Amino acid sequence: MKHFKQLLMLCILCVSVFLAPLNAFAAATSSSSSASSSSSSTTSSTNAATDDSLQRIKQKGTLVVGTSADYPPYEFTTKKNGKTEYVGFEMDVAKQFAKDLGVKLVIKNMDFDSLLVALESHKVDTVIAGMNITPERKKSVDFSKPYYTGHKYFLINKADKAKYKSVNSFKGKTVGAQNGAMEYNLVKQNIPNVQEKGLAKITSLVIALQSHKVDGVLMDEATAKAYANNNSNLYTFNSHIKIDSGGIAMAFPKGDKSLEAAANQTVDKINKEDLINKKWIPQASKYMKSYKKHNTVASYWTFFAKGVEYTLIITVIAVFFGFLLGTLFALMRLSQNKILHGIAVCYIEFIRGTPMLVQIMFVYFGIGAVIQSLPALVAGIIAVSVNSGAYVAEVIRSGIQSLPIGQTEAARSLGMTKKQTFHFIIMPQAMRNIWPALGNEFITLLKDSSLVSTIGVGELMYQTQLVQADTYKGVLPLFITMMIYFVLTFTLTRILNYFEGRMKHAH
Amino acid sequence: MPTKMIEIQHLKKEFNGNEVLKDISEEVDKGQVICVIGPSGAGKSTFLRCLNVLEKPTAGKVLFEGQDLTNISDPELDKLREKMGMVFQGFNLFPNMTVVNNIKIAPIKVKGLSEEEATKTAMELLKKVGLENKANVYPDSLSGGQKQRVAIVRSLAMDPEVMLFDEPTSALDPEMVDEVLNVMQELANSGMTMVVVTHEMGFAKEVADQIWFMADGYIQESGKPEDFFSHPTSDRAKEFLKKVLK
Repeated sequence: MKHFKQLLMLCILCVSVFLAPLNAFAAATSSSSSASSSSSSTTSSTNAATDDSLQRIKQKGTLVVGTSADYPPYEFTTKKNGKTEYVGFEMDVAKQFAKDLGVKLVIKNMDFDSLLVALESHKVDTVIAGMNITPERKKSVDFSKPYYTGHKYFLINKADKAKYKSVNSFKGKTVGAQNGAMEYNLVKQNIPNVQEKGLAKITSLVIALQSHKVDGVLMDEATAKAYANNNSNLYTFNSHIKIDSGGIAMAFPKGDKSLEAAANQTVDKINKEDLINKKWIPQASKYMKSYKKHNTVASYWTFFAKGVEYTLIITVIAVFFGFLLGTLFALMRLSQNKILHGIAVCYIEFIRGTPMLVQIMFVYFGIGAVIQSLPALVAGIIAVSVNSGAYVAEVIRSGIQSLPIGQTEAARSLGMTKKQTFHFIIMPQAMRNIWPALGNEFITLLKDSSLVSTIGVGELMYQTQLVQADTYKGVLPLFITMMIYFVLTFTLTRILNYFEGRMKHAH
Repeated sequence: MPTKMIEIQHLKKEFNGNEVLKDISEEVDKGQVICVIGPSGAGKSTFLRCLNVLEKPTAGKVLFEGQDLTNISDPELDKLREKMGMVFQGFNLFPNMTVVNNIKIAPIKVKGLSEEEATKTAMELLKKVGLENKANVYPDSLSGGQKQRVAIVRSLAMDPEVMLFDEPTSALDPEMVDEVLNVMQELANSGMTMVVVTHEMGFAKEVADQIWFMADGYIQESGKPEDFFSHPTSDRAKEFLKKVLK
């Protein structure tokens, strides 16, 4: 009976895990083939023929906008009363659009190269992120009319001002650009023999520039100027690279025609009144200036505090469920039942054999495609717990197997049931033996929780990136974060040692 | 008319095609002390472990108070094992518990005794074997003889109807053998039903009601100790006794 319940639970787990990729693949293939009706099989709501995208937004009352808020003056973060706020002229575009629709605006901040995936898997309703219209992108998403066109500028170290003056001076040099952004292709196409370095965040690229990992970074005019103005060691100049882009526009999932039409109305109005150049860019610059005065890293302690809070939440919950899963799968692996044993072996080998970063993104985008409302925090906790479970299972199994069989036999011959034997005799002794290994696993988990920043969970690493973007400083926030992680893990080690000592005493 | 406690019918045990027990049928009466002796590798320990189904027999039956242990549910088997104490060659005390907790855990968890009742029983039994001053130490700090006496007490605390001993003195230094055998002898005198696998011929001769001589997976001979030791009938037994008695 007990086995049956375990089996049932696992079946459900397996089915959901294996269905998720099918749906995700179906969505991916149907949307990239572009010609026919898009992603119709899995998400019925987005069929072009019976498009209800606008109605859907109005019904739920929120417009979810995906962006990558590391791109001043397009979009970046400031703090107001200790709270993160997304500002920049594109955020004004988003506000205007939401206002015109009569719905509430929700901003989802993530890496630029995750935005299109998020759009296709309907994590966001639209992407407003300085995204240029290109033929490649048009294959998988639809665009509104453009509302802005900017030149491409090189950002370089001021010391190199004499060395780099045009595109040609970067011949054979290393140039950085944001992954998934149009600049990435422009670098390849326009500079001969270039060595290109692609990173997910503009902030990381600027750090790379300052530490001379790259000689220059190609980015949008407005952004490049913002950095140069806020950091006296940086300098920017126009690349004069010709762009065949149709300008910057909002992106929509293929087929969301009615929503796109509504967006075009907003864009028309913005263009007619020239709101971006006249009102919003000056406003954004003001934000940047006003923050320049007091954007010392220390004044961002609330960001770090918030990050620590989320990191601890993720760690505590994932340790709990990881331990639970680990115990369950360790017992299944040790079980006489061949099916349970097989499932446990598959789970452990598969999870240990795939990178955690991939697992996190898979849970968020893959399973998230089936369960639309899955929040990033929950997805992150699931991924981390499931990952930890596999490692904990092996630790526990080794702990149980290291005990002499005589312990079990003695307990059973005293009339104890299997369960009592496990609970009162085996587990306490196994725990004492595996405690150091288990502690190691928990510390790894705490550190690895930083990976969930990639799906936009506001834990410590994510907050660090916000601080980097806000302060235009790359290394100091990283150093602070490193120290915070160390204090956290060191405290955890002390706590674990304390319990280890107590268990030794009881011997 | 003595009542049958354990009946063994055509018991067989194989390990991966290797027949360790070939065909054994015997009976243990209530209050009897059986000593199982024989050369190494004869299957004595396997036989004893089949009696409380720590090893599941390949064929045949083991009846305890009329119930076939080889063919009942796990909960029923757990219930019957409460009545069959077992003492191992390697003691198998729980190293993470004090002596008194080693003794108390099964009565509390299995029989549902209260903490006070269990402690009281444990202390009384410890006193009987002269170890009441060791109640609160961990097994690590005990000598082998003391460990084995604690192990016996741990089984007795469950108030069993039969005690199985699997070479209880084989892992002990010679000077400690007697302290364990004395406890076992007292136990036998008090009327406990016992099945003892042993190499202690003196003990077998003195205490056993019956000797079962095992070799090659069979019980070759069984009888009263005075008959067996003076007039063994089988060649295997004669050969064995010549070696061990000199």
